[in-house]
Amino acid sequence: MRNEPEPLVEDAIAAESADPIAIGRRGFLQMSAAVAAAITAGVVGVPVVRAIASPALAKPVVDNWVKVADDIAVLDIGVPIRVDFVQTQDDAWITNRALNGVWLYTEDGEKFKAYNGHCTHLGCGYMLAKDGKSFICPCHRGQFDIKTGAVLGGPPPRPLDELETEVRDGSVFVKYQDFRLGVAERVAV
Amino acid sequence: MATLARWIDERVDLVAIRRNLFDREVPGDLTWWHTLGSATLTVFAVQIVTGVALAMYYAPSPDHAYDSIRYLERSVVSGSLVRGIHHWGASAMIILVMAHVIRVFTMGAYKYPREINWVLGVVLLAVVFGFGFTGYLLPWDQKAYWATQVGTNIAGTTPMVGGIIEKILRGGNQLGAATLARFFALHVLVLPLLLGGVVLLHLALVIRQGIAPRTDILEKEAPPRTDDPSYADYYRKRYSSSKHAGVRFWPDIVAKDLVVGAIVVCMLVVLAKVAGSGLEAPADPTDTSYTPRPEWYFLPFFQLLKVVPGSMESAVAVGVPAALFIVLLLLPFFDRRSTRALLHRPVAAFALVGILGGSGFLLGQSMREMTPNAPEVGRPLSSAERSGRALFKRQQCGSCHAVGDQKVEKKDDTPDAPDLTEVGLKHSPSWMHSFIEEPLRFHPDSKMPAFGPPTLSHQEIEELSQYLSSLRGPHGLSRQPEYRDTFPEPAKPKENP
Repeated sequence: MRNEPEPLVEDAIAAESADPIAIGRRGFLQMSAAVAAAITAGVVGVPVVRAIASPALAKPVVDNWVKVADDIAVLDIGVPIRVDFVQTQDDAWITNRALNGVWLYTEDGEKFKAYNGHCTHLGCGYMLAKDGKSFICPCHRGQFDIKTGAVLGGPPPRPLDELETEVRDGSVFVKYQDFRLGVAERVAV
Repeated sequence: MATLARWIDERVDLVAIRRNLFDREVPGDLTWWHTLGSATLTVFAVQIVTGVALAMYYAPSPDHAYDSIRYLERSVVSGSLVRGIHHWGASAMIILVMAHVIRVFTMGAYKYPREINWVLGVVLLAVVFGFGFTGYLLPWDQKAYWATQVGTNIAGTTPMVGGIIEKILRGGNQLGAATLARFFALHVLVLPLLLGGVVLLHLALVIRQGIAPRTDILEKEAPPRTDDPSYADYYRKRYSSSKHAGVRFWPDIVAKDLVVGAIVVCMLVVLAKVAGSGLEAPADPTDTSYTPRPEWYFLPFFQLLKVVPGSMESAVAVGVPAALFIVLLLLPFFDRRSTRALLHRPVAAFALVGILGGSGFLLGQSMREMTPNAPEVGRPLSSAERSGRALFKRQQCGSCHAVGDQKVEKKDDTPDAPDLTEVGLKHSPSWMHSFIEEPLRFHPDSKMPAFGPPTLSHQEIEELSQYLSSLRGPHGLSRQPEYRDTFPEPAKPKENP
């Protein structure tokens, strides 16, 4: 019983499809159903997807100069120091006091290097190794040179992110920026 | 009663439901391993019920998430028990779902005609891991923050679209308020609906196709491949004879399932009571000494990232899970040989042992290398207090003032400054605020520099005062502060000449 064709409908469809232009009653209803469903899904779906995905267009922070040291004279030479700083930052609907950190390094007390405090691998905070000659990240044992930020070992895909520095009136300023992590090229976020 | 049942039956056809659901025939000789799927379902039900209770006390915002969990743990009746059950339930889901996959794999039950149900099962497996990943950000403690930092960064290493995925996952450039709200929505709305829906399909197919019989029944005189035209016929005959020799779903199978479910749930309650669910210090983005560590079920993968060289990193971080997922999805479509027992499938056996052994090895290695993070002593600091702590370091207050174990390195010109270990018991935050701003007002011969604007803003001084106020020595929590604040006479307004 089940597999027998239902002659009336089949005939009607055959008759309709014989004419290439006319879509017929059944075809019209099918199309109306599809269009109605697509409109319903579209008018709700498009704004929802846009709302969810819009953060993908977030722009990187620009020109965020931070004073990280008041007096260059007191900074040790040849020993990196970590400077944490606090900034008021907009975090979505919250205004937060965000804490960030950089590592400052100088060889002559005049020119400064500053590295973003996040390991370039997956963003953990790294620290100075016991021998004081390299940075070590506790997460996956990434290792960096203190002088150049170059990768000495472990999984990090690129050197430490060096930040622009400037000395104004004896204070050290750093242009703080975060970068995409875990990838070889440096892309500001 | 009977009339009522008949009245309802006439309208909704209860008898048909009973016949199709409960009286259906199931092949005999099902092992206890066959209860793993239903045990997962039981734990899922427990997760829903406990999750609803948790959601009633939870605030998905960085300002309040941690405190709301702490409130739940400390002040809500049975709160820590409910959270403990949910916490251990998550691990149980992972274990059970993996065990279920392994059971189905070893018995070759993904082969004809259950290919689609295997695919649905693999999707469920991924969803369960998604629950784990989105769930542990929610308490907004150290573990939550750092593990999610690492997790979203891994997603960000996907070739081409990584940056976009990362931003969408985080709801912006950085991990923050938007991320937490997003993960909350995924964890309590999207994933439960997805899991529930796919579970319904999964079960509908189990009911329609029945449970796979013992492997030997489907191996005797079988055509060599399942895509052989004669296989469908062969299968149908074998299966129906094994079903007729079997048992009824109710009560034989249901009893077994529910007994296992009850044992698992009781274990969860015991674990929740005995081990609790742990809450670390609140998330602190600048804590460089913290070693992030994901939940145990992500550890093998976390460990794998340690051993691969940097150049392979993004290939492994995204590639390995993606490849495993795709291989699992496609498994029933490239393995079409009709042998089912694991002993007759050397490649499958080898792969299973390899993956399990490898994960086990990595898990063991990772657990051995674990260094416990130092527990936060005393009261966890608020975010203002943590800002203050950073300012304290930044202004190098510690080069004159000792705090606890951090002694001052005495140089010739170091002025004598008070030890601040218990300063929070001696002075109120508002007094400290005024003092830090202008010490000379209080002590004309003070050597402490003034930190009032422009050196520090009032907000920063306030944060510093808040931090100092939290310094109360080793037994500070049990001691009441006795403030000795003395304010100087207010400066007299200058008389007009």
